[in-house]
Amino acid sequence: MMNCGYTPRDARNGWIFSAWSLAVAVTYVVATYVLAKTTLPRPIGIALIALALVCLGGAVLAFTRFLREADELLRKIQLEALGVAFGAGAVFTLGYRLCERAGAPKLDVDDGFLIMMIFWTLGQYLGYRRYTSPVEA
Amino acid sequence: MKNRLRELRADREWSQGDLAEQLGVSRQTVNAIETEKYDPSLPLAFTIARVFKLRIDEIFHPNGKR
Repeated sequence: MMNCGYTPRDARNGWIFSAWSLAVAVTYVVATYVLAKTTLPRPIGIALIALALVCLGGAVLAFTRFLREADELLRKIQLEALGVAFGAGAVFTLGYRLCERAGAPKLDVDDGFLIMMIFWTLGQYLGYRRYTSPVEA
Repeated sequence: MKNRLRELRADREWSQGDLAEQLGVSRQTVNAIETEKYDPSLPLAFTIARVFKLRIDEIFHPNGKR
């Protein structure tokens, strides 16, 4: 997430969310790679998936807490960015589904998520540009 | 919505950081309110009024009327 003048509480919650996000990235990549490339006993495969899901749940809870406790301007910027991301994800997913019927290559499930992440970042940037300016000392 | 936040803060010789700390918000929020890019929530407006020991309508003016 972009950091433009967080309160100490928002900075702490932001770091907690970032840590969970990193854990999600690591466990997701490891689980994807290991499950695709190796033949593991079934319980280990299930444990890897469960670990990735636990990290995803932790990230969702951490972000919810970050939003709930956020400084009100930060919350407004984040909610608008999430709106942009959700809208872009919906337009891309539904729009591309029509394109697939017209012969475009099949999409991976992850592609819609990637679009949402890109537009979430773009939405935050636009929000900070819209509402903030250099602060005085 | 127009407001007198910058003027009131300057009268007390507070920095944006000082005011932000008293209000429990970020400096960016104080800055955005002062530059009228953002209107505060009602609870924050009450907190601002309490900090300056004024009524809300002595600080905030709808449609720029004072």
